[in-house]
Amino acid sequence: MSMNKMTLLPPLMASSEGSVPFRLGPVEEDPCDHGITSRPIEHRFSPYDFNGGTVAAIAGDDYVVVAADTRLSSGYEILSRDTTKLHAVTTNCVLASSGCKTDVDQLRSVLDIRGKIYQHNHRKSMSTPSVAQMLSNTLYYKRFFPYYAFNLLAGLDQEGKGAVYSYDAIGSFERSQYSANGSGQAYVIPLLDNLIGNRNRTTPKPDLSVEEVVEILKDAFLNAGERDIYTGDQVEIIVLRKDQPVSRQLFALKAD
Amino acid sequence: MSIMSYNGSAIIAMAGKDCVGIAADRRLGIQLKTVSTDFTKTFQMQPKLFVGLAGLATDVQTLHNLLEFRMSLFKLREERDMPPEVVNNLLSTLLYEKRFGPYFVEPIVAGLDEDNKPFLSCMDLIGSSVKANDFVVSGTCTGNMFGMCEALYRPDLNPDELFEALAQSLLSSVDRDAMSGWGGVVHIITKDGVMTKELKGRMD
Repeated sequence: MSMNKMTLLPPLMASSEGSVPFRLGPVEEDPCDHGITSRPIEHRFSPYDFNGGTVAAIAGDDYVVVAADTRLSSGYEILSRDTTKLHAVTTNCVLASSGCKTDVDQLRSVLDIRGKIYQHNHRKSMSTPSVAQMLSNTLYYKRFFPYYAFNLLAGLDQEGKGAVYSYDAIGSFERSQYSANGSGQAYVIPLLDNLIGNRNRTTPKPDLSVEEVVEILKDAFLNAGERDIYTGDQVEIIVLRKDQPVSRQLFALKAD
Repeated sequence: MSIMSYNGSAIIAMAGKDCVGIAADRRLGIQLKTVSTDFTKTFQMQPKLFVGLAGLATDVQTLHNLLEFRMSLFKLREERDMPPEVVNNLLSTLLYEKRFGPYFVEPIVAGLDEDNKPFLSCMDLIGSSVKANDFVVSGTCTGNMFGMCEALYRPDLNPDELFEALAQSLLSSVDRDAMSGWGGVVHIITKDGVMTKELKGRMD
């Protein structure tokens, strides 16, 4: 590969998240040079960081269980072993978020403020479907500079039935019976498909009690903790039941 | 677009009590288009040894032929079956020979050794291999498969329980992956022979 070639290499954009050539596709370059001396390099600050973690939630007839690990990490470092990813938006509704912690914190603040305004105007706290829509709107408001937050909303709807809503980073949402989000999502969701959704099984779908669902979630997090480096330390599990106080438990995972 | 996910694949191998099982999906695709629903990715190289090849389909077939050739030569010269550990090392060497222009496959070796004890190993595309006591996975949905296997595996499963664990792990994993699925096949190897079953799953 001659250094006198006439072709202009696309500029390289370097950030804390890695280096990318501006034009997509294979780039012909001197294998020893890596383009360092023969192309312009733009250094850029990346506003996002991935702080890891897994969240999951399962809805039942009159309950909803939501779980999240308590590890905060950045790259290969663990920043904290006991940060919570769960946030009570109303007494009936819990938001579980993984992704970039600063965006998650800001999102929670914005939701709290908008929830308080609703409470002042309507003289009642927001119902879970309303919170779900509000969260979607809040996320889409930042469509072109998104909150790097992967959310799960778990709560009891107007009839007291369990509701789980899962979101992408820009507000697309769907109500479902169960969901998982975050770095360990791939490890958890197929298991929930198999055990909660009863997929690929010919036996009739079993009626699961709260205790059984909590055990399934604990098992799912144990498995995600084994294989995902960002998931571990402890799992915080919250159970919301109709006409009962909120129950919260901590379950230890491997600290490696 | 990654070369390893151009055709799509999902392979799991699991160990039981004096038995091993290997399961694979049946899809052959060209990116998002499905081209075949009966593409073989698991090959019985010997009466008690299977090799599963995940990755680029052309390399799956080429490496199968290459391995068949080398194993036949071994059998002619040494007049014995190739032990699984030796197959593992042979595959590893064959792949590393192409270190700077590799075969785009990530193989799995599953079999019973001379004492009928289970042997499992998996490799990356340049031959770095890892042995396991419990299970190994390879393909485009390894995250899903790891999660399922970690949950459904128990030590010392008998052949029927092993079949159930493998089948459920594979089907639930490929259902969350667009590039793999379209049916499945499971082989259970015991000292008495090989039991092969086709899986009924979502055809999408």
